[in-house]
Amino acid sequence: MVSAEAAVAVTKDQSAIGPLLAAALALPGVMPSAAHAQSAPDKGIFEAQYLNYRDWQPGRNRMTVWAPAFYALVPLSDTWVVEGGMVYDSMSGASPLYFNVLSGASIGDYRTAGDVKVTKYVGNTAVSLGGFVSSEQDFLSRGGSLNVQFFSEDRNRTWLLGVAGNNDRINATNGVAPNSKRNSLEFVVGITQALSPNDIVQSNLTYYTGHGYYSDPYKPLDTRPTTRETWAWLTRYNHYFVDADATLKLGYRLLLDSFGSTSNMFEAAWAQALPWGFTVTPGLRFYTQTSADFYMNPPFPRGFVEGQDYSADTRLASFGAITAGMIVGKTLWDGWYVSLRADYYRQDPDWQIFGTGSPGIQTFSARWLQLNITKNF
Amino acid sequence: MRLLSIALVAAALAGCATFEPPKPWEKGNLAKPDMQFDYDRLDVKTQQHIYTSKEAATGGYGVGGGGCGCN
Repeated sequence: MVSAEAAVAVTKDQSAIGPLLAAALALPGVMPSAAHAQSAPDKGIFEAQYLNYRDWQPGRNRMTVWAPAFYALVPLSDTWVVEGGMVYDSMSGASPLYFNVLSGASIGDYRTAGDVKVTKYVGNTAVSLGGFVSSEQDFLSRGGSLNVQFFSEDRNRTWLLGVAGNNDRINATNGVAPNSKRNSLEFVVGITQALSPNDIVQSNLTYYTGHGYYSDPYKPLDTRPTTRETWAWLTRYNHYFVDADATLKLGYRLLLDSFGSTSNMFEAAWAQALPWGFTVTPGLRFYTQTSADFYMNPPFPRGFVEGQDYSADTRLASFGAITAGMIVGKTLWDGWYVSLRADYYRQDPDWQIFGTGSPGIQTFSARWLQLNITKNF
Repeated sequence: MRLLSIALVAAALAGCATFEPPKPWEKGNLAKPDMQFDYDRLDVKTQQHIYTSKEAATGGYGVGGGGCGCN
């Protein structure tokens, strides 16, 4: 995943800036220490993460996931950077057949995914080539991406242009739709603008187009369109409060889906720096979506017509969702950083605010805990 | 490109006050990790993957993340 980076870097060519600025940059806290900058990063990152995820519906547990993951970023030279990551998901539990009716047998699956990206910085441009693969027992996804960032002369603005292609193969273990394929392309145009010494905004417009098998082979009668297009407009804004030594982070996303669903997402977080290297970041996210055109309300299989699209997957229903979370981080010695994240998530059809929630479906809840350990080197 | 730039920034800033872009020596606060978008890429990926598997909508955070059989 690539996004336009924050417009925070200072050109490496300090000889062109002048000794006064060079002296100013030498002041503590002025020179960006982070690797995510508009010039090639000169520091590496290694990060390890461990996720425990669990979800449930009233009276019944559903899925549990354990997922270790790793990420590394290594500068190869002044202008070349390579980064990559991998994740292993181990999943078990019960999944809905239709609406909130769960499969009787316990499901066990795993997912292994990895990606790598190489970036070359040339003047006011950075070009990234990436590749990724994700493999499950019944699913294989492979793809590549090209992202180009353009930096303004004053390094206050970054443009992002990107394209990615994806090829998926589906081989359900129940034999439904063997060797099915799905191919897709994604395009993004984005801008990141530093508005002031304490304000930064980013806006990305993403277009997705794909064709192939989009149905869920494990849900009876599930028949979805064979083409899909989405438009996603994501805008984020951060403001730093100097006196409080805190950052307010706001985000909004509008997403239009050719399946018929429209969604709105709002998020806010407050990152508060505390003494002794601690940071506490409480966050809230509100999400609401309308149902897909071919989602039919209970009881199953009301509304099903042979040869027409149909789904009883509640993820395509009309509902709202709230996430409340907290991240506690601690800067340690010698470039080490540790953080613990906890989130609680709940879907409820009564929380749909741009229309009427789908009737006859239960609430859905999840919680996840995540431990991250990072080393900057 | 320029018109698109203006349109996107204007849309993002609708209703906001006038800002003065920072000088090179005024970027210390912008360089703080919490002021950067997607600073912790592993965390961003994980959060997006969770929501992708539970909601109809996905995307908007860039391209090239790879697919999964979870939706």
